[in-house]
Amino acid sequence: MTHARQWIGPILALVLWEGFAHLFASAFVLAAPSAILLYLYENAGLLTRALGVTLANAAAGFLIGNAAAILLAGLAIALPRSENIVRALALVVFCLPLVATGPVLRILFGPGAGPQITLAALAVYYTTLIPLLVGLRAVPSDWLDLVRSYGRGRMTALLRVRAMASFPYLVAGLQIAAPAAFLGAMVGEFTGAERGMGVLTIRAMRDLNIEMTWALATVATAVAVLAYLAIGYAARRVLTEEPPVILAAPAAKRRNLFSSIAMVTFSTAAILALWWVGLDALNLSSFFAKRPDDLVDALFLAPDATQTRAALAAALSETLIFLFPGYLAGLLAGATLAMAIILAPSLANTAMPLAIALRSVPIITTAPLVVLLLGRGAVGTVTLIAIMVFFPTFIACLHGLRQAPGRATDVMRSYAASDMAILRHVRVPAMLPAFFAAARINVPASILAVTVVEWLATGNGLGALMALSASLSDYDMLWSAVVLTTLLAVLGYGLVGALERRVLQTYAPEQLA
Amino acid sequence: MKSSSGLSRRSLLATGAGAFGAASLGLSPRLLHAQTAVNFQLSWLHSTQFAGSYIAQDRGFWAERGLSVALQPGGPNAPVEPPVVSGTALMGISAADYTAAAVSEGAPFKIIGVAMQNNPFAIASLSANPVNQPSDMEGMRIGMALANTPVLQALCTINDVDFDAIEIVPTQYSPQPLVAGEVDCLLCWATDLPVAMTVQGVENETMLMADHGYAVHSQTYIVTEDSLANRRADIVALMAGEVAGWAAYREDTAAATDLTLAMFPDAGLDRETQLLQAERQVPLMFSDLTDANGFGWWTDETVAANIETLGLLGREVTADLWDRSILEEVHG
Repeated sequence: MTHARQWIGPILALVLWEGFAHLFASAFVLAAPSAILLYLYENAGLLTRALGVTLANAAAGFLIGNAAAILLAGLAIALPRSENIVRALALVVFCLPLVATGPVLRILFGPGAGPQITLAALAVYYTTLIPLLVGLRAVPSDWLDLVRSYGRGRMTALLRVRAMASFPYLVAGLQIAAPAAFLGAMVGEFTGAERGMGVLTIRAMRDLNIEMTWALATVATAVAVLAYLAIGYAARRVLTEEPPVILAAPAAKRRNLFSSIAMVTFSTAAILALWWVGLDALNLSSFFAKRPDDLVDALFLAPDATQTRAALAAALSETLIFLFPGYLAGLLAGATLAMAIILAPSLANTAMPLAIALRSVPIITTAPLVVLLLGRGAVGTVTLIAIMVFFPTFIACLHGLRQAPGRATDVMRSYAASDMAILRHVRVPAMLPAFFAAARINVPASILAVTVVEWLATGNGLGALMALSASLSDYDMLWSAVVLTTLLAVLGYGLVGALERRVLQTYAPEQLA
Repeated sequence: MKSSSGLSRRSLLATGAGAFGAASLGLSPRLLHAQTAVNFQLSWLHSTQFAGSYIAQDRGFWAERGLSVALQPGGPNAPVEPPVVSGTALMGISAADYTAAAVSEGAPFKIIGVAMQNNPFAIASLSANPVNQPSDMEGMRIGMALANTPVLQALCTINDVDFDAIEIVPTQYSPQPLVAGEVDCLLCWATDLPVAMTVQGVENETMLMADHGYAVHSQTYIVTEDSLANRRADIVALMAGEVAGWAAYREDTAAATDLTLAMFPDAGLDRETQLLQAERQVPLMFSDLTDANGFGWWTDETVAANIETLGLLGREVTADLWDRSILEEVHG
């Protein structure tokens, strides 16, 4: 009986979906489940080949990106002084907007799968690096003492002790990385590819082929969800306990003003130097590869500098109008659903798969769908950003809520406190560190979402400005927009971090120790 | 690399089969020698938009001229100009307005051929609420990429239409907003979104902007001044193959469509859509001018008209942007 009841919801949803699709067929928005299945059946060969290509690139990027993350994390632990700069550089590279990195990678690699694989690698390395850095430290200090007492050095400690201790954290990173790699590979195809899921997605949009659009989204979702579940399954076979959920580096310790300024200055200088030297080393034409001095010239010295700055400011404000509500809505929805599941655990059966699916669908297939359903206005864009932000927040908050100290909940229960009261007084404070960690990592994720929607659907803001300036060869504008977008992400990340320190000082001072 | 070796095998088979190719296969010593490998950067995903080039590839029009050509597809995030500037691609497909923009940013480009004599930009509308002349747009909502605002402005200026009476709604990559009634018309290519609507059974009208004074050469062939000076023979061979390919395309658009689908089975192409696109492209590419002088040609008059429209788009160019010497050699 309970088994049968489980199926009522999904079946009813499918029937409604089918009905609505037929009712509103003339709007070219919704494809009926039957039509999607038919399309999948009739075009199985085409879709399988496209999936094969994109999956292969995503897998290559997944391996390379995660290997890079492991190397960087090893470097940061072996040379503790390098950690801050590794972190800062990694964050900046992670915040670079896809819309702009794609074409540059195409030039660097020429024809082939280079950009697809690189974008996949770039999409995954940060979410692996951060948990790893935490994991490599999550080592009981007596183990390290043991290594030392045998007269062995840091390297042995890293390979024999730290690597083992960090394994669960690595798995946590890999799980988030799998769908991200798939998205990176698809966006890479936009830089000029003959085949793949990204190519077909564009084709379906242009051809007004709604069945194809929905079929592609279905396949992409299924693959991403399967990859997520498969890594989780493999991890549970190897690990004895659930992998920890760490989405962002723990809040930084409070530094004095002087050392903070020194750190920011040093990181900025390192990034500028890398940018400059990198372009020269790669011997890229100054027509499209702009150096920092080109931007200073374009933004402040050139005769049209005022217009350039005005165009950037206008695009930035268009982007921010959607970014803030979407970001906040996503955080709120994630935290709320997590609390609802704590209060009514049976909700998890329906909510979890839906949440994983929402997160895993590559945004370039969701973007057209959400815009089709909710329109090109504010609602569509805000919803899309919220979807991107929602899942990591939800998973992190759920983990945090469950970590509430057992003794505290026991005390509350012995006083006959309601579930609601326990939630408010014990679980929510316990959730805050995880919530803020998610809020920080979601800053770049939400900026990625908003620029992709602007580029592919609404034609507004920074996303559209970057696409436009590339097509008009206005590479000064493109690079300026890249710097602005990256700064926005890094600043947002820093601001959320500052807020986090304030709140945690009150609710979870042990996190800041 | 894999695909290009596959193509050359195919092209050898094709030349063996075709009467034209039979003469060159085996007889031409150049085929036996190492061929010069060049990249040719297309401006969009593979489709019949470039079918003439596929014919040149398939029938060995380039191979018999000593070239091994790799056709690089474009895409929504693949600007054409950088690979041509950097030399990754010997030649690229652009449009006069984009080329003018790149030149003003310091790219040393020349237009050496014009595939689309008539600009493909059009105003598409539903038959129930049609746009038949520019003034019909007043009071309407138009869906378009914001990037194309200067294009609409130019059209309005040329035809004395009140630009401020048109409401611009930013849309991208899809005819859906028009079909769903979010906008009253679209600024798009005549060969692209309207074709998709027709194939999906949505009755629509297109008003070609070229018929209303918008004169901007499109699908133009661009090379750098440096390659024009130093790799002239390769460029002549590349254009000669193009000219032969597009001549064959005009003869039989259905065969060109079938070839496109056969060469790119993974591109998700729909035959009906591709064929209609191929047919609608013909009047844009071939005219009395090209009949008299050859594919890709232009005259001082058409260049003057282009300079005038480009001026309305805010692009100041001179006739130096166009260099006809390659075409003169090819058609000479």
